[in-house]
Amino acid sequence: MPRSCKRKSSAPPSPSRVKSFSDSRSVKAKTKDGERIDLFNKYANNGIIDPDGIMVLCKDLEMEHTDVRILLLAWKLKAAKLGYFTQDEWQKGLKTCKVDSLRSLKKAVSELGKEVKEPSQLEDFHSFAFRYHLTEEKQKCIDIETICELLNLVLRSQFCLQVDSLIEYLKVQSDYKVINLDQWVNFLRFCREISFPDLQNYDEAQAWPLILDSFVEWLREKQ
Amino acid sequence: MSLPNKRTISNTSNTNHTSSMKKANNTSNTNHTSSMKKAKSQTVACSVDSAKNGLHHDFNNTNNPDNDVVFDPSSLSLDEDLKTDDSRAPAAANLGRKKAQPPQPAKKLVIKLVKGKPTLPSNFEEDTWAKLKSAIKAIFLKQPDSCDLEKLYQAVNDLCLHKMGGNLYQRIEKECEAHISAALQSLVGQSPDLVVFLSLVERCWQDLCDQMLMIRGIALYLDRTYVKQTPNVRSLWDMGLQLFRKYLSSYSEVEHKTVTGLLRMIERERLGEAVDRTLLNHLLKMFTALGIYTESFEKPFLECTSEFYAAEGMKYMQQSDVPDYLKHVEIRLHEEHERCVLYLDVSTRKPLIATAERQLLERHISAILDKGFTMLMDGHRTEDLQRMYVLFLRVNALESLRQALASYIRRTGHGIVMDEEKDKDMVSSLLEFKASLDTIWEESFSKNEAFCNTIKDAFEHLINLRQNRPAELIAKFLDEKLRAGNKGTSEEELEGTLDKVLVLFRFIQGKDVFEAFYKKDLAKRLLLGKSASIDAEKSMISKLKTECGSQFTNKLEGMFKDIELSKEINESFKQSSQARTKLPSGIEMSVHVLTTGYWPTYPPMDVRLPHELNVYQDIFKEFYLSKYSGRRLMWQNSLGHCVLKAEFPKGKKELAVSLFQTVVLMLFNDAQKLSFQDIRDSTGIEEKELRRTLQSLACGKVRVLQKLPKGREVEDDDSFVFNEGFTAPLYRIKVNAIQMKETVEENTSTTERVFQDRQYQVDAAIVRIMKTRKVLSHTLLITELFQQLKFPIKPADLKKRIESLIDREYLERDKNNPQIYNYLA
Repeated sequence: MPRSCKRKSSAPPSPSRVKSFSDSRSVKAKTKDGERIDLFNKYANNGIIDPDGIMVLCKDLEMEHTDVRILLLAWKLKAAKLGYFTQDEWQKGLKTCKVDSLRSLKKAVSELGKEVKEPSQLEDFHSFAFRYHLTEEKQKCIDIETICELLNLVLRSQFCLQVDSLIEYLKVQSDYKVINLDQWVNFLRFCREISFPDLQNYDEAQAWPLILDSFVEWLREKQ
Repeated sequence: MSLPNKRTISNTSNTNHTSSMKKANNTSNTNHTSSMKKAKSQTVACSVDSAKNGLHHDFNNTNNPDNDVVFDPSSLSLDEDLKTDDSRAPAAANLGRKKAQPPQPAKKLVIKLVKGKPTLPSNFEEDTWAKLKSAIKAIFLKQPDSCDLEKLYQAVNDLCLHKMGGNLYQRIEKECEAHISAALQSLVGQSPDLVVFLSLVERCWQDLCDQMLMIRGIALYLDRTYVKQTPNVRSLWDMGLQLFRKYLSSYSEVEHKTVTGLLRMIERERLGEAVDRTLLNHLLKMFTALGIYTESFEKPFLECTSEFYAAEGMKYMQQSDVPDYLKHVEIRLHEEHERCVLYLDVSTRKPLIATAERQLLERHISAILDKGFTMLMDGHRTEDLQRMYVLFLRVNALESLRQALASYIRRTGHGIVMDEEKDKDMVSSLLEFKASLDTIWEESFSKNEAFCNTIKDAFEHLINLRQNRPAELIAKFLDEKLRAGNKGTSEEELEGTLDKVLVLFRFIQGKDVFEAFYKKDLAKRLLLGKSASIDAEKSMISKLKTECGSQFTNKLEGMFKDIELSKEINESFKQSSQARTKLPSGIEMSVHVLTTGYWPTYPPMDVRLPHELNVYQDIFKEFYLSKYSGRRLMWQNSLGHCVLKAEFPKGKKELAVSLFQTVVLMLFNDAQKLSFQDIRDSTGIEEKELRRTLQSLACGKVRVLQKLPKGREVEDDDSFVFNEGFTAPLYRIKVNAIQMKETVEENTSTTERVFQDRQYQVDAAIVRIMKTRKVLSHTLLITELFQQLKFPIKPADLKKRIESLIDREYLERDKNNPQIYNYLA
């Protein structure tokens, strides 16, 4: 993996706050830890929550497993492997969310939808979503189909028009079969920076990846 | 008492002296401001008379006080016989002396008081004037006057001496005024025919000039004294001119008619009529003399010229084609120049020529270029183009001409370069085009440097219009020239062609494409022995070397080295014991040992060789490796060629064929008829190559095999028979042209290799730049890349390489500014 990935995962939102929290009420925290473990064990299978466990969890949270909120939860837990939550991830993640029960988890997960609206959080979540879907060792790219679904999940709520067009383009074009992290990250940048749909401030001479140049060209031709 | 005596003597001597003195006076008058020296020389002249010498001296002494000078001759005036002009003589003499000698104390005044104070007769002025007046009148009327001019001159002289100059001047002026006014008035309403009128004016002017000269001659003394000494008074001549000017402008009809007449005459001359140039010349001189040339004539003349040529320019531009128009302009400008020499004032030349140039050229520059430039260029009309250049140079329009040239080259070149159907002739067309441009540049554009650069720029632009094809075609063109069988071209011609091609080569941006194709063709020429002349080959290499440096030609030179080394190896192989003892007889073989890397890469092609050849190859290999241990030999069968002896029923032949062809033909030693499948199985040649080979043997010009059934294409079910009835006029027949031909695969693989190399070069350049800069913005990186890379490349391609490097983690986008890349060590 590129080290950018490592850097991101090693920078928790606010470690100091978490620490002081656990210090001051260590006793209470202990019991809460226990509750979290109980919750974990409820879904875990052989010490890890596997895809089946996640399905059960989804059911309990009353949402589809394709719901963006599950992805957000994975992000919050800093899950490393697609479809799995380790106990460690679970413990640390739920602690930062101050979650100790299914109910509070459900509430927190809904809250995450709001949290991610914040730019820096969205950026983090956006690139997490990509990395999370790299399942194979040394895999760097994700196929177009998955990318389209991810775009729908991650960006569509905020950039409906852009995402729809982009997905349409990705399905029409034949130059790219996979998307790499750089391109993915630049999708978000594009959505944020370029006025849409007039594309007035788009300049090919800038450092946009070629795929976006082609996308813009395709859009302009269509217009 | 002795003194008066002396005086009388002096007087007589004076009278005798008058005529000579008068002459002397005249000379002294012409140098009115003459120095002492002059006066002295005069006295010397006088002293010729020995008796006078002493007198003279005496005379000086007695008369020196200025006042006495006037009184002194008064005694003479008593003498009735003496005429007034006589009395002038001593005065004149005194005048001379007055200047020559400083005043001296008066001691002789006493003597003069004896006589009565001399006075002028009271009617002296009137009488004298009357004489002069009648003379002036006579002059004006062109009648002879009774009074001779010398006397008249004397009369003026007298009047001046008696301080009556002012009066005299006014009187003369009045006389002149009356006459001039009358003369000019008489011109009013004269003949409506302009030429006649103009000659009347000229006559009037000439007369006046003559008359004024005459009057001035008479009154020269007035001019010299009174006019000189009095400020704000014009000389008589100027007075005459001034009066003429005054009345000319007051009778404006005369002036106007004169100017119109002149203009009309010049216009008529422009239209081709013959006119009286002397008349024009005289009248224009008159304007100049009167000082009204610029105001009264030149201005309307230039306006008139402007109008005339504006109309003419419009008309001619529509009527005639450009070369004729330019010729016409040239003639017109020459005519106007002549006009200035013949009758116009010199000062008019510049504005006049400028006016003509503006109307005939400047206003039509773009029209001329639009209408005629392409035609002239296409027709190689160097003379007309030169004319255009020279004319445009006059009006500072070379920039437009240069631009027209640039767009012409681009347009024409575009046609040559972009037409894919004409690819075959592209290089020769370009060479021809360039040669014609060079001639035009030399002969028509006087080797203007800016134009030279324009030609270069335009050529560079057009030759790179199509990315790689021109480079490839230039390489192929050279191949054609350097290949054997180019009969009829001498070495010098070949050398000249190479030089010319090199000029085109210089313009090419993608020199790597050229190199790849040149190398491929060179390899074939060397290996198949098809090179026309090794000298020419080497000279081309050295040209490329001077052009692009040794790095560019390193490998090419290596190829030549290989060939030379191979010759030596072959020699020593023949001498070696292995060769002598083990070699199968009846076969001769020569081997080229090629260094990998110098030569183009060839795809390995399998073939099952006949036993004899295999043996031969093995023995050579053994020999070679014994000499150069540690090397690896690989046989490139596709490049081999052989000469076979063939016995056809109708005669023996030698066939020059490729190795593949040999392998196929050898099969027919043992069989009469073979199917395609059979041949493929027993030779092991790759199918497509085999088809080509069979086609060349059975479907080409030389058919040593027969294909059943007949047809151009080789099908799977075809079979082949030895051609019993083969005949050919020559003993030795070449069938291996197929090897020299470039296949489509070869072409694409060469091009692909070039592109591959370019990709690596781009990657290397990006890493090199980023390694030194560590952090660089996208735009700057792109700019630097364009500077470093020597071949044409699109920004999009660069982006692709950058992204690939990001992917491979050589670079990353900066977290905070996505326009910036960071180098990852």
